[in-house]
Amino acid sequence: MSLLDRKLFRDLKALKSQAIAVALVMACGLAMMIMTRSLILSLATTRDSYYERFRFAEVFARLKRAPNSVREELAAIPGVARVQISIAIQVTLDVPGLMEPAVGLINSLPERGEPVLNRLHVRAGRLPAGRTAVGELAVGEAFAAAHQLKPGATLSAVLNGTKQPFRVTGVVLSPEFVFEAPPGAALPDNKTYGVFWMPYKELATAFQLYGAFNSVAITLDPGASEGAVIAAINRILAPYGGRGAYGRVDHPSHRRVDDEIRVLQGLSVAFPLVFLGVAAFMTNSVMSRQIALQREQIAMLKACGFGNRQIGLHYFKFSLAIVVGGVALGAVGGVILGYRLVEMYHLFFRFPQLDFILDGRVLLTAASVSALAAFTGVAGAVHRAVRLPPAEAMRPEAPARYQPALVERLGISRWFSPSFRMALRNIQRRPVRSGLTCLALALATAILIVPNSFRDGITYVIDFQWDIVQRQTVTLSLVEPGPARAIADFRHMPGVVWAEPFRFVPIELKAGPITRRLLLQGLPERGTLSRVIDAYPQQFTLPPRGIIMSAKLASVLQLSTGDSVNARVLEGREREITIPIVGLAEDFAGIACYMEIHALNRLLLEGDCISGAHVVVDKARWPQFLAGVKETPRIAGCIIKDSLREGFRKTTAESIGLLQKIYMLFATIVAFGIIYNSARISLSERARELATLRVLGFSRGEVGAVLVGELVVLTLVALPAGLIIGSAFAKGILTAVNTETVRLPLVLTAENYAFAVLVVASASAVSAVFAARKLADIDLVSALKALD
Amino acid sequence: MPSDSHGSPSSVRSTRGKDEPVFHVRGLARIYGEDTAAVTALAGVDLDLFAGELIVLLGASGSGKSTLLNQLGGLDSPTHGTLLYRGENLADFDEKALTSFRRDAVGFVFQAYNLIPSLTARENVALITEICPAPMAPEDALALVGLSERMDHFPAQLSGGEQQRVAIARAIAKRPQVLLCDEPTGALDVRTGITVLEAIERINRDLGTLAVIITHNAILADMADRVFTLSDGRIVNIRENQLRAPVSSLAW
Repeated sequence: MSLLDRKLFRDLKALKSQAIAVALVMACGLAMMIMTRSLILSLATTRDSYYERFRFAEVFARLKRAPNSVREELAAIPGVARVQISIAIQVTLDVPGLMEPAVGLINSLPERGEPVLNRLHVRAGRLPAGRTAVGELAVGEAFAAAHQLKPGATLSAVLNGTKQPFRVTGVVLSPEFVFEAPPGAALPDNKTYGVFWMPYKELATAFQLYGAFNSVAITLDPGASEGAVIAAINRILAPYGGRGAYGRVDHPSHRRVDDEIRVLQGLSVAFPLVFLGVAAFMTNSVMSRQIALQREQIAMLKACGFGNRQIGLHYFKFSLAIVVGGVALGAVGGVILGYRLVEMYHLFFRFPQLDFILDGRVLLTAASVSALAAFTGVAGAVHRAVRLPPAEAMRPEAPARYQPALVERLGISRWFSPSFRMALRNIQRRPVRSGLTCLALALATAILIVPNSFRDGITYVIDFQWDIVQRQTVTLSLVEPGPARAIADFRHMPGVVWAEPFRFVPIELKAGPITRRLLLQGLPERGTLSRVIDAYPQQFTLPPRGIIMSAKLASVLQLSTGDSVNARVLEGREREITIPIVGLAEDFAGIACYMEIHALNRLLLEGDCISGAHVVVDKARWPQFLAGVKETPRIAGCIIKDSLREGFRKTTAESIGLLQKIYMLFATIVAFGIIYNSARISLSERARELATLRVLGFSRGEVGAVLVGELVVLTLVALPAGLIIGSAFAKGILTAVNTETVRLPLVLTAENYAFAVLVVASASAVSAVFAARKLADIDLVSALKALD
Repeated sequence: MPSDSHGSPSSVRSTRGKDEPVFHVRGLARIYGEDTAAVTALAGVDLDLFAGELIVLLGASGSGKSTLLNQLGGLDSPTHGTLLYRGENLADFDEKALTSFRRDAVGFVFQAYNLIPSLTARENVALITEICPAPMAPEDALALVGLSERMDHFPAQLSGGEQQRVAIARAIAKRPQVLLCDEPTGALDVRTGITVLEAIERINRDLGTLAVIITHNAILADMADRVFTLSDGRIVNIRENQLRAPVSSLAW
């Protein structure tokens, strides 16, 4: 170790708390970058290899029913590589330990061998044995986990009106159901929705579908046109009640994973870069101060024959030590937090294995960027120091020049105390330093706003959806649309206080090249349970003609009120119709369109039909009601509002809670680091001034106030700025991920703001107190000494 | 100013006999470090200082005069001996009491002025007057040192002599019992030094403030009532001037 390096080592030791503060802020930026970029890499890599290994299809289609021979026609389409036909049917389940009925999507397993596409990963147990197995099924992992179903467990399913017992043979995963939730759901509800697989024969026989299929999955040849294949599929399946093919982009599970990656991308760039910038600035201020303090040493070194390059290198090494510390801390922190977040993703996404993959390139890039930024920060200070002729450097620096602060010239300065003026003038004398300090604090505040605005947005949506839009206790759906008089049966079920009918019809809307497939909901003209709400938010009275659609859907289709939309009915007698849009609904869960129920039935030329009913249930007779539902084979689905709501709330709380904790940690570290560092530098630069004040009779507290006055002013400016920046960030991210499945309103509450202000203000205050404790070390007698 | 304009030195002595001293110092010692590394900065000093006196402490560098001044100003506490300020033992003062002693009773003037660079002359004075019980107006204090014209200038815009006079105004604006000046002219040329010393003398005379000036410049001794010469931490000589020489007559 050279003697200069030994000096470096000892100087670092003397500056350790400041060096640590800088390294911590740098580590925050790096950790955030490494965490988010690595999560993106983990999700994308895992997804891609999962898709490949288990042959996730590229084009999907559902239909009413087609004979298995149609498979050959599909396989013959130019560009189609592989075709997998199967049956997928939604049924009602009776799960032991669950009071309410659950909904299961049962998929068929091929009669022979493994599925060609969308293969299953067996997590535990085995698949149902052979084609002849009866009363066996495999269950998707998310549902199994929610109910602690292990191989050997039993449950009942209502197959085509007959309740049958089943034994669970295995727990499985499918690339089709990475996100195991009903289509369109933003959050999973694994208690009441599950995915299952059973042998083709048993399922097909139960639904009189033997020798036929109602679901197709297809992969394409390399270079094939997806659009052309989809068009061909639609042509072939049209006579069989085809509901329109779609690509991966529209696949609900795939899409949800994509959305998540997009959120991460939003978070992975802006914040980390800004934190790294702040860290570079802090390195610069620490180093500038250090070099200013060592002017005479530099002069001495130069006088003794050390070259500029050696001296420059010495200080570069100093900042390099900080960068190395920051990178090490950041990498460790990023990996630890990444692991925690990966665990959180298990709540949403089911992969055979979702491992945290460290994005090494990001680590390398981030480390180089930090090092470069720190070096650039130091270069100026070193250059200034080595440029001075030794004789001049031996003399102390000239005293600082000040002028009245800008705000004082407004004529309000007579109300300012001298210490406040000192603060203002110090801020103005170093505008860049003050600005960056302020910016760093503002960003610390801003990052706290984001996760909480997500949380508040979700709460708002939940409350809006289930207090304003849907006021029923339970939604019951029929296996097949039934006659309107069935509503009377619903009203007579045990515990039912009131019931209102609905009619759901799958349709495809078309506006120019854009098509969307969704359920057209028929509701009573002015229902009291499931209501359609406008932007104000008032309930729509559904007119006898025309549809009301989600504002988001209208913007996707580039339509608005007064336009007409072309629709293709995808059920029963297929037909093309043109319907006028009569209103836009404010809703957040998926996309929807609504019509008055009789108008819809007239349009379908089907007479009075209902698909199910929204019902209000007397809580006192809840068990009787649920038993009644389970005993009614015609009921295919039962959605209980409160359990859905509770599930949403829990998932939200868990995921946002973790994010919030991580961001709070970052914000605290940044606020603490920047204030501590600024206060220490101030203390070093103004030691003489502060000692003088002590000698002149200022108490330690009063001198402390003078020391931190400047930082208090900067914090007071930074807090509101941070709230504004944070709100803009939240808005930006919400806009970026404003998709048809996931969209949140920007909800900014006073609690959110207050929390952010509280965290940053307390971190700053504690940090300032820490730094101010160093005031006790000030040597009063030094103030009396002459400068030279 | 001629010294007879405010009474003869003998009359000062006679009143001094009846008064309680401002500072009563006996056997005052200050030793830094311990055992073999111990350095004795003050080795037993006895003195009494009275209100209205102008005292000069003379001595070479390391003689202990700064250490003595620090003790009087409550910046440091003695290792042995008694140091009473108006009958109260400063050694018994805690941190808070020492702070209010400095705040209310002592005015400091430093060799390097120690003005706050970010505050104007007036504000530098106001900074102190705001925390004192019965201060004079900052403008009046600055007028006393002849700086009425330059009150709104920042330290960097003032000459060395002007800066030192601002420092004196800052020290006297609180109407201190004691004015402690550490080499107040050390960094100034003769002419500027004279204006600064005149300001100190005027305060001492007009306000009856006990003024203690540290210097290694023996010529300043002529302006004092009494002159203590220190060497090796002891008072080696006491001189009483029958007549204080007017500051304007000094030359070095």
